[in-house]
Amino acid sequence: MKKFNSICIIDDDPITVFGMRKLLDSIIICNTLNTFVNGKLAIDCIKKTIEDNQEIPEVIFLDINMPIMDGWQFLEEFISLPIEHKVRINIITSSIDSKDEKNWKLFQTKTHHTITYNNKPIRKQEIDEMTKIA
Amino acid sequence: MLKGSQISTNNYLIKQLPKATAFINKSMKVDYVSDKWIVDFDFTHSEVLGKSINSLFKNINKSWRKIVQGLLTDCSSKKTVALYINSEGHKKWFEIQNTPWYDDQENVIGTILQSEDVTKTLLNEGKLEKLEILSEQMADLTKIGLWDYNLERNEMHWSEKTKAIYEVSEDYEPNFNDATKFFKNGFSRNTYSMTINKAITNEVSFREKLQLVTAKNKEIWVIISGKPLYNKDKFIGLAGTIQDINETNLAETKRRENEHLLRTLIDNLPLNVFIKDLESRKILVNKAEAEYCGSTNADEILGKDDFDTYDKETSEKSRKNDLMVMRELKPILAKEMKLTKIDGTSTTFLTSKIPLIDTDGHAYGLIGISLDISDLKRKEIELRKLIKVTASQNEKLVNFAHIVSHNLRSHGANFAMLLNFLKTEESESEKNRITNMLFDSSNNLMETLENLNDVVDINTKRGLKKKNVNLKSKISAIQQILSADLSTNNAKIINKVPDNLSVKVIPAYLDSIISNFLVNAIKYRSPDRDPIIELESSKEGNYTILSIKDNGLGIDLNKYGKKLFGMYKTFHDHRGARGIGLYITKNQIEAMKGKVSVISKVGIGTTFKVYFNEKI
Repeated sequence: MKKFNSICIIDDDPITVFGMRKLLDSIIICNTLNTFVNGKLAIDCIKKTIEDNQEIPEVIFLDINMPIMDGWQFLEEFISLPIEHKVRINIITSSIDSKDEKNWKLFQTKTHHTITYNNKPIRKQEIDEMTKIA
Repeated sequence: MLKGSQISTNNYLIKQLPKATAFINKSMKVDYVSDKWIVDFDFTHSEVLGKSINSLFKNINKSWRKIVQGLLTDCSSKKTVALYINSEGHKKWFEIQNTPWYDDQENVIGTILQSEDVTKTLLNEGKLEKLEILSEQMADLTKIGLWDYNLERNEMHWSEKTKAIYEVSEDYEPNFNDATKFFKNGFSRNTYSMTINKAITNEVSFREKLQLVTAKNKEIWVIISGKPLYNKDKFIGLAGTIQDINETNLAETKRRENEHLLRTLIDNLPLNVFIKDLESRKILVNKAEAEYCGSTNADEILGKDDFDTYDKETSEKSRKNDLMVMRELKPILAKEMKLTKIDGTSTTFLTSKIPLIDTDGHAYGLIGISLDISDLKRKEIELRKLIKVTASQNEKLVNFAHIVSHNLRSHGANFAMLLNFLKTEESESEKNRITNMLFDSSNNLMETLENLNDVVDINTKRGLKKKNVNLKSKISAIQQILSADLSTNNAKIINKVPDNLSVKVIPAYLDSIISNFLVNAIKYRSPDRDPIIELESSKEGNYTILSIKDNGLGIDLNKYGKKLFGMYKTFHDHRGARGIGLYITKNQIEAMKGKVSVISKVGIGTTFKVYFNEKI
């Protein structure tokens, strides 16, 4: 089993969060697994983590359509944070809008973090791939 | 003394001779002289008598002296015309004649000089000659011939030129009847014979433009004119001129035809045509341009410039263009120009301005050609509007399709995931949990489907008729329905809509719209103050506007403006937020051909403006 210090799930749908947790539990061991129902709560928490000099998440699962701050707005703020090491961000969405895919490609060029794009539903073998250290 | 008295008698007689006469003896001295001679040559008696003729005519008249000397030495009698210049410099022409002077024994004892002032005659002759030359030239240039007809003798006379016009030989002798026959059978001959008979009977002048057939069978146009001739108050016939105007006439006819053709052409062109001079004054306009300038008569427009037709801005611009064309000698071709007349009406033209260039290469004006494309322009604008509507419809559809697929897919994904867990799950309690989640998921799906159905309904139920609804009482009714909610939250509603204002709406939509905005205003109230909601109305063009102003949380429009009316978008961390209300509201407003706008400030409040379309 892979071991992680910190993983974070950002999604407003409780069922998806439940599923993600369940899938992750089956293949990894993680000290801290935080979930947030929108981007705002997540980014605020990550900023605080940086301020407190604590370890920031190594893998982030990110939904796009969320209230208050959506996935893209979260990414915009996240990539501007002073994080030197690579973080793996897995976008998880049920959108088939080509605009979202374009947006993803645009973000890939703007940051040193690893960003992947994945359609729901997520299967076990995909989770394995998504938890490889970036 | 006999001799002496003889001489003095002679002297006396000669003195009185009417003709200027001088008796010169053999020694060239003047013996006798007539007073006339002395006057003619500006002498006095004492100056002349006994003097040598040589000493009388000084250097000024050298040529004169030579002639006189010549005559004195020549014994044959001769007449000569010579020029004499008197002491004051006046020129006089004299005809001088010498006659030998005999004594009673027939001996030549001298010469008698007789002279006559012929200056006037000579001048007249000169004039006459000049006149003849002139009239010949005139006749040649103008092709005018002369004719006269003597009634008494029934004689007709044609000048050379006249004969040339008739193309008869020089020795042709015309007569009254033949002259008539030269005129072309029909109108010309009838007119001629009628006119000439009338001129003879009534002794009047005439002038006619007629066609004649020459001796060489050529048809030509002439102007024949005549005047009555009198001799001592007695009418004796007619005299007049005949002018060949065939070339001018043909050229004139051709020119007129061309002009007519051109005029017809430009008048019937579906274009406004005008010609302007250097001062941009119109010197030619066609029918279309005249009518456009508000006149049925093109002549009324001539001499006017753009300032008489257009407003100041248009006129100044037009003048600038004119000057540029005439200065640079380069045409403006098919340029789109919007011209505004003094009365404020605007027309869009496709205008060309082409410089008129004279032989020296300078512009002396310009030709303008304008095509009214206002209709095209209007249609273009309509088309653009239509394209915009179609594009926005299309965008809405795509948007909707994405929403549908996204929402359905997310539920579907949940089902798939949960069912997958269920298959492999062994713990009963966990199985139960998953099953419950499946129920939740199913309920969510149903709700989503209902929402989508609502939206589809709004966008497809075109049959719903708009009715006039009193806005104020509608608001009051909804206020009534929401009264429990309002009082719980201490909300205050200020309804400033006038009593009699009605809006044209689909009533059910209006209910839903007002209620949604009111509910939102309470839902997103500020925790620091009791909600106050103000409703006001105004008019703008075809729209009646209802503004709903609250003092709630407000929303950062820079961040969320684009998504505010989107589906499943919520912007506050609020449990009641479902993200469907404003989406439905917007759809309902748009289904009634209205629109909605928003202004908001975080922490201050939000104002929504609903535009009800009263026209469509």
